Amino acid sequence: MRQLTSILAMSFFMLFSHAAFAMLSMELTRGVSGAMPLSIKPFTIQGQMPSQDIAAIISHDLKNSGRFKVSTGSADDVVMGAVQEVGMNRYQVSFQLIERFKGKGTSQPTVLLNHKYVVSGEALRSLAHHISDAIYQQMTGVRGIFSTRLAYVVVQRTGGATKYVLEVADQDGYNPRPMLVSTDPIMSPAWSHDGKRIAYVSFENQHAAVYVEEVATGVRHLVSDFRGINGAPAWSPDGRKLALVLSKSGSPNIYVMDLASRQLTQLTHDDYINTEPSWSPDGKNLVFTSNRSGNPQIYQLSMASKAVTRLTYEGKYNARASYTPDGNHITMLNQESGLYNIGILDLDTGIFRVLTNSTTDNESPSIAPNGSMVLFGTLDNGRSVLGMVATDGSVQIRLPARQGEVQDPAWSPFMV
Amino acid sequence: MQLKHFKYTLLISSILALSACSAPGHKGQDEAAAAADAISGAQTSGVGDSSNFGDQAGGPGQSLAKRTYYFDYDNSQIHDQDKPAISANADYLIAHATARIILEGHTDPRGSREYNVALGERRANAVADFMKEKGVSPEQIRVVSYGAQRLAAPGRTESDYRLDRRVVLVYSKK
Repeated sequence: MRQLTSILAMSFFMLFSHAAFAMLSMELTRGVSGAMPLSIKPFTIQGQMPSQDIAAIISHDLKNSGRFKVSTGSADDVVMGAVQEVGMNRYQVSFQLIERFKGKGTSQPTVLLNHKYVVSGEALRSLAHHISDAIYQQMTGVRGIFSTRLAYVVVQRTGGATKYVLEVADQDGYNPRPMLVSTDPIMSPAWSHDGKRIAYVSFENQHAAVYVEEVATGVRHLVSDFRGINGAPAWSPDGRKLALVLSKSGSPNIYVMDLASRQLTQLTHDDYINTEPSWSPDGKNLVFTSNRSGNPQIYQLSMASKAVTRLTYEGKYNARASYTPDGNHITMLNQESGLYNIGILDLDTGIFRVLTNSTTDNESPSIAPNGSMVLFGTLDNGRSVLGMVATDGSVQIRLPARQGEVQDPAWSPFMV
Repeated sequence: MQLKHFKYTLLISSILALSACSAPGHKGQDEAAAAADAISGAQTSGVGDSSNFGDQAGGPGQSLAKRTYYFDYDNSQIHDQDKPAISANADYLIAHATARIILEGHTDPRGSREYNVALGERRANAVADFMKEKGVSPEQIRVVSYGAQRLAAPGRTESDYRLDRRVVLVYSKK
């Protein structure tokens, strides 16, 4: 019994010490109208209790998408499943998505999805996200984002010292892992379109330089270290080029670097601020921020003709634009009357909408690879945290930090 | 007792499960972290003891010692009240050809991070240009913009922002 007590004390210590490092948690702060009712039953368990509650993870994923009203009660669409231990740390997981009432007059349930997997205990959590993706796609016709990742910068101030950590976590904030730890600022993480590399700006040599780091191995390369600004890296859709901002000519201008040859092509040539390039999904255009009209606004540059068109007119300040995956909209940071909000502009109709009607400033919008949500930096009682908002404005989520401040987020592409 | 035992087992396994999901990552990440630790030992900027330089320079020490210059929102124009101090430091640099400075440009935290880096550089360049016009050699000046990455006042009020929007002149050892 004494032994058990000491094990317990030890376990409590582990629990407590880990609680201090508990990951980002998700809180639904706005929603949910027009959501589809979906019943997710607890999975039946056979043998050893698995380390992850798969039904709970799926419920959490789908609820936070804003598209589902999740319960364990009755609904037309039901998710049921089972987890069975099939060996040392091996589990067989099966689930069905069943539609109970299909059409008028028929009461025969239809099996919409029926899958079976065998995975290790460590893979249960990512399997749950995979199942969420399958259900989301079946019910909405859109690919789910529950297996994607987030990159962001954590700033920890302790006494006079500040620590900056570039972290990568699962889309729900779990599994945070450090990519770079530094005593100097880190900013502007950008994922390559295959999700294998992240470009970022680090001030570790007392000036800004752009690095590219492989996510799996942590191997990294210094790619841009010119005099002045080296900033705002953005990957071309084919992953071969990096658009970036250099002020080596005296003013910040936009360049494209061919990563294999390191050859630079200068795209803007003026003495204003030109920054924050972002590629269209087809790679034919770049949007960027410029103050050439007197204050920051969004411009589009054609890669073929190099012609520049102004895209934003609403608001005194528009910056950090990026295209939605369909290329038909851009999201951006917008300031109209004091507060900085996240907005979305329809490029066909020119209709602009503010997505975050928040009472604080927001920053760094980054769109999900399926176009459904925008990730951004925001404030919670004066502390920097991450937020998400649906591109139709229907749902808003806050991801409070474990420790310190979280800022400058970037949503990964789909992980293949 | 049996029930009690079951409860403990459940508690332990759930604790272990919780620890497992927040356990450190695989080897590759640990190596990345180790590599990162190796570089993070780098010194921060701000080399050189400012008060020593002030003492050595003598003369209008008050003006020479003023090395933080404030700016208006989304603006890189030097305030008139800062010009005597910038001039005094320019004179010092002209008289001491081996002296070197770093001009650090900063902004308040609102708005876009990379735009703020550009804005911070414009502010630092404005001070650099003013000094070059006075006759300071470009070789003596290095400009670095931190944008909103190093705030002077971490609060979110207008009086904090006023302290954040600044250029800091630092005498460097090289």
